[in-house]
Amino acid sequence: MSNFSIPGSQSTPAIDGDWDHGTLSMQGDSYPENSYELFQQVFSWVERFLLEAGRPLTLELRLLYLNTSSIKAMMDILDLLEEAHHDGKPVAVNWRYDPRNERVAELAEEFKEDCTFPFAIVALDSAASAS
Amino acid sequence: MSRDNGELEELIKRLLADPDLREHPLNFALGQLWFQYRELLNRMERITRMSDAYQSMARQRELSLAERFDKQLRQLEKVARISDRYQHMMRELNIALKEAATHDPLTALANRRPLIERLKAEMERSERLGHSFCVAMLDIDRFKRINDGHGHDVGDTVLIETARVMEAEVREYDLCGRWGGEEFLIILPESTLALADDIVRRVRGCISQLKVRVGDEVLSITVSAGLAQYRGDGESYSELLNRADAALLQAKRDGRDSQQLAV
Repeated sequence: MSNFSIPGSQSTPAIDGDWDHGTLSMQGDSYPENSYELFQQVFSWVERFLLEAGRPLTLELRLLYLNTSSIKAMMDILDLLEEAHHDGKPVAVNWRYDPRNERVAELAEEFKEDCTFPFAIVALDSAASAS
Repeated sequence: MSRDNGELEELIKRLLADPDLREHPLNFALGQLWFQYRELLNRMERITRMSDAYQSMARQRELSLAERFDKQLRQLEKVARISDRYQHMMRELNIALKEAATHDPLTALANRRPLIERLKAEMERSERLGHSFCVAMLDIDRFKRINDGHGHDVGDTVLIETARVMEAEVREYDLCGRWGGEEFLIILPESTLALADDIVRRVRGCISQLKVRVGDEVLSITVSAGLAQYRGDGESYSELLNRADAALLQAKRDGRDSQQLAV
């Protein structure tokens, strides 16, 4: 068991890895000073989970703005999931967005494009998005 | 050639195997030569096989490198595409934010921020070029009575309609905005007080033609206005607005639906 949590800031998303539940959630904007440093930890956690946990992994994403290096990092993480999927491991992504900003959904579609595992793009209901 | 070789090899094998020739002095030497020849042939075949294996390995490696390069390239293109879209989204959000920060959401007229900016710019222009400009403060008459009597929805409609007419009736380079509540400000560049007086009279005339329907009732709207011309000589914009306000107050005292020029 190894949980992992990074509090969010104005320029970095809140990140929570829950080993027991098999969920990794990321929420907020992402334009960190050093995205390699930030996402390396996420990448390693996902890599280790897929290798050791033997349980399904779900990414819960509520990301708004991503800078270029964060986009690259997200694609690397999705590549990891794609590989795991090819190895027969159950993985999934739920990308939630505020329906007032449809563009976020369009961008999530771009990320989804090359993924063959379950990848849902879900509108948050307005009550939840207001919180 | 290979057939000759084959024949030669057959001949040598036969000669070496012939018991009658076993004691021949050349038999031993030929046997040794034959043995070395076979060895060399084997070694050459082995070298060829290894060399082929290396070649195919290098080729595989090249293929996988090319594949990886292609994949990286595709990923890079995708990153750039997504990044462009994020930037586009930010730009649109910026425009929306700017609009929200400078405009009144109800009437879509300019709010105080651009009004004050414009006032300062006109003051500078006026000081520099000696051109005169005026401001007009307008206030919807008995607005509280409309709001209280018919509800806020009707009050909002009156504000929206008044704003619409005002914007349509001023000149292209005039700026009108919502100063607050039921109060509006019009900035009239390149205008004397007499000209501004005419323009505001026309605007007020058009507003008084407005008919706002509330159920069976038809509401008429009138506005009062106070006008002031920029004095120059270091007059501040708040002093200018105060004079317009005082004139507006005078117009209200005169029984409303009228306009007054500030001294």
